Amino acid sequence: MELEQKNPLKEFAPQLERTSILGYVWIIFLLMVIGVGFYAFLQQVIDGHEVTGMRDNVVWGVYIVNFIFFMGISYAGALISGTLHLFKTPWRKPIIRMAEFITIIALLIGPCFILLCIGRLDKLYYLVLFGRIQSPITWDVIAISTDIFGCFIFLYLSVLRDLATLRDYELLQLPKWRKKLYTVLALGYTGTPEQQQRLNRASDIMAAMVIAIAIIVYSVLAWIFSVTLQPGWHSTIFGPYFVIAAVYSGSAVLILCMWVFRKIYHLEEYITKKHFVAVGVIMLVLAAFFGYFTFSDYLTKWYGSEKNDELLIQLLFKEFYWPFIISNYLGVLLPLVVVGIAKFRTITNITLTAIVVVIALWLNRYLIVVPTLESPYLPIQDSRPEWLNYSATWVEWSLTATGVAVFCLLFTVASKFITIVPVSGLMKEEKKEDVLI
Amino acid sequence: MKRVFAFSILMIAAIFLVLRPMNSFADEKTDTVNTPPESRLKLDYLCVSDSVILTANISIKKGESTLNLENAQATFTASNRSTSKQLGTAKTDQEGNAVIKISCSSLPANMEGVVEYAAAFSGNNKFPAAQATVNAKPAKIRLFFSIEDSLRILKVTATQKNEKGIEVPIPKETVLVYIPRLFSLLKIGEIALDENGTGTFEFPKEIVGDTLGNLVVIAKIEEHDLFGFVQGQNIINWGVHKQFYKAEVPSRELWTPIAPLWMIITLLVMLAGVWAHYAYAVYELIMIKRLSKKNKPLF
Repeated sequence: MELEQKNPLKEFAPQLERTSILGYVWIIFLLMVIGVGFYAFLQQVIDGHEVTGMRDNVVWGVYIVNFIFFMGISYAGALISGTLHLFKTPWRKPIIRMAEFITIIALLIGPCFILLCIGRLDKLYYLVLFGRIQSPITWDVIAISTDIFGCFIFLYLSVLRDLATLRDYELLQLPKWRKKLYTVLALGYTGTPEQQQRLNRASDIMAAMVIAIAIIVYSVLAWIFSVTLQPGWHSTIFGPYFVIAAVYSGSAVLILCMWVFRKIYHLEEYITKKHFVAVGVIMLVLAAFFGYFTFSDYLTKWYGSEKNDELLIQLLFKEFYWPFIISNYLGVLLPLVVVGIAKFRTITNITLTAIVVVIALWLNRYLIVVPTLESPYLPIQDSRPEWLNYSATWVEWSLTATGVAVFCLLFTVASKFITIVPVSGLMKEEKKEDVLI
Repeated sequence: MKRVFAFSILMIAAIFLVLRPMNSFADEKTDTVNTPPESRLKLDYLCVSDSVILTANISIKKGESTLNLENAQATFTASNRSTSKQLGTAKTDQEGNAVIKISCSSLPANMEGVVEYAAAFSGNNKFPAAQATVNAKPAKIRLFFSIEDSLRILKVTATQKNEKGIEVPIPKETVLVYIPRLFSLLKIGEIALDENGTGTFEFPKEIVGDTLGNLVVIAKIEEHDLFGFVQGQNIINWGVHKQFYKAEVPSRELWTPIAPLWMIITLLVMLAGVWAHYAYAVYELIMIKRLSKKNKPLF
């Protein structure tokens, strides 16, 4: 009885058992956005890439920007959750599950945008048949598929204790099939010392692996750009720059998730200002690193005065002036001010800053991809003036919105399947506190 | 909560405002998708020896895009304004080109010997009709090779037919000399014709030919007001013999079919390391499952 009263699962049960009317409205809204995106996708399949803004000169547009963005937040989720797990950070428990969800969900959505870039999806299997190991695209395919497996194993290890808790908590009013599913997925875990030892060992190993893989995979993604001689891409610091930008954007997305779930599921007791400030400080440090890398990259390009680099920098400061300012000035300075100065350090301010950071980092990827392709290194045969400038069409925007909607939908569904805060960890904490008292 | 929502909407609106300059072409592009298609026909003329090669390129312009039309029928005619002669028809290939080769003799020409060639595409339900014309007088270029004082000499003559049908020289014109290479023609020189329609050129020694040293030499008059494009060609074994070297060991480079060994080894080591850890984690999960038989439930 005492354990039942102390069991935090009792508090999280409504989250799993019921969906409010507002929740259903939210899901229907997301499905509608996805529906529009599906229609846009059909248009693209029927009419070809003509319905997009991509042409012979600018062959990559917002699809690849979204791919980099989603993969970035995925790796950030892996890095943050892996690091928090390995270092046994005391405040990690209420937010680590969100970071894990971000990893998996973004990792499932990101590669879909690459598929949207491909004109002949029916020839996709050629990549397996004729893929060359020398190509960074092949490295990326191998790396992403390896990463997906690793992240799934890590997530599974992380939720195993909660699956067992959900299986064994009798007061939970769930359909039988869900109970059965929990039973199957819990693998008969009952928390014996040997089981705990094995689970901890596997979790520690996988935490270390997901950190290493996240760094490698995102570096590989950066190398797709940097191994070319294109102005703006051919940079030796692109690997670490991409990794930093990824973790930076991921920390901002984590703050947004924390804010949303704190409000929706009333988790004020579990996700406190302390957590926002802690992740905010991570964001601040990453903002400083991101600013340093950005400045270093553009300074060397500007100082080198190579013709094509100069043209690119002129383009960034003229045609792309505002996106450049938001991305590389506002996106860097705002977290430094808001989180750096104690007076401004409130939950709302940190969340608002996270919104700006997410948008700034998306624009950062746009500025990496589009202006470079608009100023090609080599002249293109039979090119036309109207192909030189890229602008996304409604098809691309709606598929972008679909990506975000799928992210939100999967997050919502995942939070209905397993508690958004690891209850087994909280129970353990409470037990420890009891012993101490 | 309201503040955060309001701020989010404000930021998204700001982004669309910021992206507005980048989007300035979007409306144009969407509009052009709905514009009706327009057929285009381009007629190219080339006179080779005693033949004329006519190439009609048919393409469709829809909005910003231009696509070559395959399987379209082009009808070719020659005329001298008063009489007209059907030359034949041809269907376009993947590149949108319909090619016809005809003899120069018995073509209807005007007093100056100029023939008006026409190509027409009659159109269909989807695409409108199109046509194009080109005027040219048949001419001929001949190539002769000789060795004089151990120098290799290429001699070129250009002729046209007068009103009596007798060949007369084309004086004071420029002939360009080319050698076909893998992707395009390599220009090796220019010859200025004298009053007798003849010109010479010292042939370079270092050009690589085939395994027997054979070279195809092409001489051309290009974009002439009266003659259009005229071409003559001949073969001579003055090239350097091409030799194929078989590498003792298959080359492993970035650009070869087989990857460098260091790359394969690095990739395999990394993948083996990662997947071994995955396998270990899965093994631990299996062990957890096996241990479950002895255990009691949590609650």
